Amino acid sequence: MRSTPAPESQSPEGGAPLADEHPVYLQDPVLDATVRMLVELTAEVWVERERRLALEELLSQHGLLAAGALEQFRPNAEQAARLKAERNRFIEQIFKELRRIPMSPARALR
Amino acid sequence: MSAVQDPMPQPAARADAAYLDFVEGFRAYLLGEGSQFESRLEQELLAEGQRRGAPLVDIEQIRAHVEALPIGQLRNRLARTQQEMKWQRLTGSFEAQRAALSAELARYDGRGPGRLLLDPAFNYPPYLNVNFHLQPGGYFKDELSGFLYHYGTKVFFRGDNDHDELHARLVAKAPAPADGRVSRVLDLACSIGQSTTAFKRRFPEAEIWGIDYSAPMLRAAHRRAVMLDTDVNFAQRLIESTQFPAAHFDMSFAFIVFHELPLRIIRETVRETARVTRPGGVFTVFDFIGSEVHSPFQRYHRYFDARHNGEPYSQDFCDCRFGDILDEYGFDVAAAPVGQRAGGTGYMQHWFAIRR
Repeated sequence: MRSTPAPESQSPEGGAPLADEHPVYLQDPVLDATVRMLVELTAEVWVERERRLALEELLSQHGLLAAGALEQFRPNAEQAARLKAERNRFIEQIFKELRRIPMSPARALR
Repeated sequence: MSAVQDPMPQPAARADAAYLDFVEGFRAYLLGEGSQFESRLEQELLAEGQRRGAPLVDIEQIRAHVEALPIGQLRNRLARTQQEMKWQRLTGSFEAQRAALSAELARYDGRGPGRLLLDPAFNYPPYLNVNFHLQPGGYFKDELSGFLYHYGTKVFFRGDNDHDELHARLVAKAPAPADGRVSRVLDLACSIGQSTTAFKRRFPEAEIWGIDYSAPMLRAAHRRAVMLDTDVNFAQRLIESTQFPAAHFDMSFAFIVFHELPLRIIRETVRETARVTRPGGVFTVFDFIGSEVHSPFQRYHRYFDARHNGEPYSQDFCDCRFGDILDEYGFDVAAAPVGQRAGGTGYMQHWFAIRR
């Protein structure tokens, strides 16, 4: 893990040294960036999926989509719970691989 | 009867809300049993201690082991990333509606119930100039810092505090003085006033004060309290120098405050709180557990969080034996229960302290 001193704009009194604004955590900086991009991409995919799900809810309720309805749609408690469950399934589907990473780096290379 | 307004500031667009909802869920997945990073690293550190014939206690040993492991590196990358994603999207979303949000704050500044006392000559001490939790501008440099904090902590609490449920629970746990007299309550470093208003609901006849150094936080706190029709007072003051008379308060309260203070200010704040809390009054503190009860992974978590999540003072707090400091300045610690979680000791602790 590499880091440089905290930006001068902050002025803590003692304590632990703050990491740089852009620390790298993985041994390979390209892999580090790839992980960041993957999570960002996942977030954006979720944004699209959430929008579609909201749209489908509205369409099923009204049969057509009024102007501005999508932006104003707020799920009721039951719908919000369904969305949260769907979100959690989505996260699990993409990130379940995290549980399969071996503990030993040597094993990871085999 | 008008409907109760939701004081939570809203993102500019549906897409921003959905993005932040993803971060909220991803954070829960990352820190919990979705990724299983924490439980696996905890087990690995315990197993490594057994392999070496002695538990891992030294932070350099623990750090070297965790950061050599692929899942240790990845856990750190993702922990940092989810926090950066939150703030980047949130600041962009509020920036897009800055003029409207600024006008909203101004609209509420002079309204009641309750008072908002800002100090135009207030000097922010350098030790407060920290981007706590990586929040851009820290707690006071942006007029919208209070709004950013409110939505940022919504994500932090993983949706469990959207309507201040946590604050209500913690305020309910604060013991009243043995004589039952509660005329005045002080909420130290109240931020956006979620505990402050919870105290008013618990003690409707009492005079409740929330103090904080951050003007943007206090403006958001006052707006929120007015929207909730709750008569509480907010003042811009340092918690180590409150300007209140001696023995003025029956109860004082500090919610996750002390780990964000240098040790020097921790001591000054306890001394000041002892001054303004009457004999028999109760000081309730909720904050991080002490290092002495840290598991090996909790020890690493504190190391990482201090450096990579803008918590520079948190290690010193965990090391300071806070109960002893309370005692030194005139409090009897009646109880200091440590929270529990699945798999062992939790991360948080209460101190219930009675002024001698």
